[in-house]
Amino acid sequence: MAPRIDHYDWPGGREAMLRFGPDDGPLAVVALPMFEEGNRTRTFVVTLLRALAERGIGSVLPDVPGQGESITPLAGLTLLRMATALEAITDRCFDDGRRTYAVGIRSGALLDGCALHSGRWHLAPQTGADLLRDLHRTWRAASHSGDQTMMMAGGDPVEIAGNLLPSDLLLSMSAATPSDQPGIPRRVVRLASDPAAADRHVDAAPLWRRSEPGNDAALAALLAEDIAGWIAACEA
Amino acid sequence: MLPEGYDTVETTVRAVLRDVLGLSAERVAGFTATTPLFGALPELDSMAVASVLTEIEDRLGILIEDDEVDGDMLETFGALVEFAASKALV
Repeated sequence: MAPRIDHYDWPGGREAMLRFGPDDGPLAVVALPMFEEGNRTRTFVVTLLRALAERGIGSVLPDVPGQGESITPLAGLTLLRMATALEAITDRCFDDGRRTYAVGIRSGALLDGCALHSGRWHLAPQTGADLLRDLHRTWRAASHSGDQTMMMAGGDPVEIAGNLLPSDLLLSMSAATPSDQPGIPRRVVRLASDPAAADRHVDAAPLWRRSEPGNDAALAALLAEDIAGWIAACEA
Repeated sequence: MLPEGYDTVETTVRAVLRDVLGLSAERVAGFTATTPLFGALPELDSMAVASVLTEIEDRLGILIEDDEVDGDMLETFGALVEFAASKALV
């Protein structure tokens, strides 16, 4: 079944989202990585969610405020406000009697902390400090000089790879970590090349590092199987 | 310096260039110590340099300080491997 275009409302406005799979049962609420990595992984994640739908699990791929096709300005946004926006999706699902599971890709794992998910599945999750480090390196690659403090000094938005990032948003990243609540199932999958701790390591290339967007249908199928099996185990 | 450790670093750097720049396995397998990188590989622009360095950091569990990044370490494949090894094998 083709993905359907839907939307969700949050206190700051209305955002678009793609909807995949059945309209009942547990729902995966997916968060792409922020900024450039989000563009690089979108095609892959759509492939993943189609594969998840084939396994009977529905999902939504929302535009996070200020990300993707969202026209919400980045000014005034922090990680917490973005996470609050995604919480609205889970709240709406509760009204419909559906439980939600977070699927966070890279820095998308920093955005599922507000919603009352029944579990969280994270692919190569990134801490806010790591994201900030990436952004700082990109900023320096554009012929700026100075450390992270200098990058954020002055209170003016910082332009990084075409994004105008408010300093409040950058500051909100520095201490952010992927959500891991006691008593709520969490599963972490990483690539085999990543030595950090994980429940499973899979052999694949990091699409999010490629400047030319790629896809990996085999990885999408493998991860869809992993997510479907994990959600089924959580629901049992 | 342990030769086998050095080999691991070289394999890792080779894999990072393949994965991040989207080069074929055959192409990176042909890289030698004197193969020129920055300025010679069109795929390796300044944005890609940032991704390459960050990915090397993640895979080798090292931290590269910004003031350590200069043209010399990126000039050839050998220079990049040597730099990574100097951070990873201490």
